[in-house]
Amino acid sequence: MNENRAPQGARGPAGGRPGPAIEVSGLVKDYGKGRGVFDVSFAVERGEVFGFLGPNGAGKTVTMRNLMGFIRPDEGAVLIDGLNCFSRRSRIQEHLGYLPGEIACMDEMTGTAFLEFMARMKKLRDRTRMEQLIEYFELDPARKIRKMSKGTKQKVGLVCAFMASPDIALLDEPTSGLDPLMQSRFIDLVLQEKRRGATILLSSHLFEEVERTCDRVAFIREGRLAAVERMDDVRRTRKRVFVVTFADYFARDRYAQAHPDAQKQGAANIEISVAGSLDAFVKDLAAYDIVDLTAREQTLEELFMHLYGTTEQVEKGGSHE
Amino acid sequence: MNRTLFAKELRANLFVSFIIVAVLAMYIGVIVSMYDPELGESLDAMMQSMPEMFAAFGMATQATTLLDFMLNYLYGFLLTIFILVLILVMVNKLMVRYLDRGAMAYLLATPNSRTRIALTMVGVLATVLVGLMVATTALEMGFGEALFPGELDMQALLQVNAGLLALWLAMAGLCFLSACLFSNATAALWVGGGLNILFFLMQMASQVGDKFEFLENVNPLTLFDYYGLAAGDASAVGGAVALAAGAAVLFAAAVAVFDRRDLSI
Repeated sequence: MNENRAPQGARGPAGGRPGPAIEVSGLVKDYGKGRGVFDVSFAVERGEVFGFLGPNGAGKTVTMRNLMGFIRPDEGAVLIDGLNCFSRRSRIQEHLGYLPGEIACMDEMTGTAFLEFMARMKKLRDRTRMEQLIEYFELDPARKIRKMSKGTKQKVGLVCAFMASPDIALLDEPTSGLDPLMQSRFIDLVLQEKRRGATILLSSHLFEEVERTCDRVAFIREGRLAAVERMDDVRRTRKRVFVVTFADYFARDRYAQAHPDAQKQGAANIEISVAGSLDAFVKDLAAYDIVDLTAREQTLEELFMHLYGTTEQVEKGGSHE
Repeated sequence: MNRTLFAKELRANLFVSFIIVAVLAMYIGVIVSMYDPELGESLDAMMQSMPEMFAAFGMATQATTLLDFMLNYLYGFLLTIFILVLILVMVNKLMVRYLDRGAMAYLLATPNSRTRIALTMVGVLATVLVGLMVATTALEMGFGEALFPGELDMQALLQVNAGLLALWLAMAGLCFLSACLFSNATAALWVGGGLNILFFLMQMASQVGDKFEFLENVNPLTLFDYYGLAAGDASAVGGAVALAAGAAVLFAAAVAVFDRRDLSI
């Protein structure tokens, strides 16, 4: 179940190297007071879309900074294409696209000027892909970046990350600020880039963001990697939570008696989580007089609890290890 | 050096440089026009009425030639500490703000090494300061020739200004090193800026009273001896060379620090 791979020993020359695109092994970066990342290891295969999932402040951005060579690991190794991410960072950047978590562009520039500037800095000759992406995200880049909304700035960042058709893309919370339409365009873009052969690592605190794109997902919490899972496995075990409103109090109680795992809410509601097939659940409900039925996905925390049981609570308290 | 970045940053710093040149033009014009070869009396009278005040700003010498007059009234204060304002504005734009706002992440998300990025920023800083020195020299010569033809000792002025450029670069080097060294934006800007201001205050104090004369020996500003440079003294030339060498060392240290440090961007 755990797909976490040990880094491979042999380091051939970069480029045609068959090993994983991204390798993080035993990464430690301690900022004190429990902040940072501690013994994080994972590998991203070539052509894979890998999700990095965790609540805010869990260490996603710290890991990204290590991969970008902005910071040096206290311990462990961080490699892209087999190259050390800190000492060989400018070489790595030749084939990498990056979207920072905080969109802090050059405020005083227009979007057009910024993208042109970045294209030159990347020594990009062909602007076709850039223009395609601008059109794809319905971006109007003529305005000053300072005056753009958060979502528009995010689009500028996304165009910048993908305009050079990178072999590897590192995206830190890529859909933040985007409206649902643009979020789904982003997801299509990721799938399209994956078909092109790009390796993509994206971090998020929202399960939905990674659900539709990623092959595998790593859960990070409090700076520690809790697990690396295949997305298919996660999807299969993930439950849906339903809130059912019955016609009356008696019907609700009758249902609650028949289903001890259902939780009573208010006068005539119950909340119940359902795993796997919904068929039995729906057919069972047909026997009752139902006023309303709403469904929501499990939150990240609920999913996490479900996957790893209550022992995680102990670890969260810090008494573990 | 990266030409794209160099061109962008040079353009971004052009406006503030023009303002500084405009202010300098006004001051240089006013000071030169105040020079009176026959009667320096009114100014001398003022100087005698409050000698400490004038001494503090490095204006203690009785001026006899136009160059002496300019050295007295321009080089002790205006052409040194006022340039620090420009240096701080530029260092803030070129390094401190990039790191503080995280926009440096974009520059480093390109196949340009940190050394190259930092050297480009140093290049912009040096180019603007050299440009400003050319403008200053041209203004001084222009006003001098226009108002008092043949009075200005051009050779001596060029010697002084070469030394002044070395001083500017050393001041900029100190500010840039501080910008590369500290992750806190306030410290990054003001450790370097504050040290420069401290040196000026030390110089002002040592010029006023004998009590503080010892400060001269520990003050790098003392290396810029503009009267000595005008006269072509070997020790003054040595001081200017030391300032230039100091500038090179400070910039090199700044680039090395920037290349090695952790960046929280």
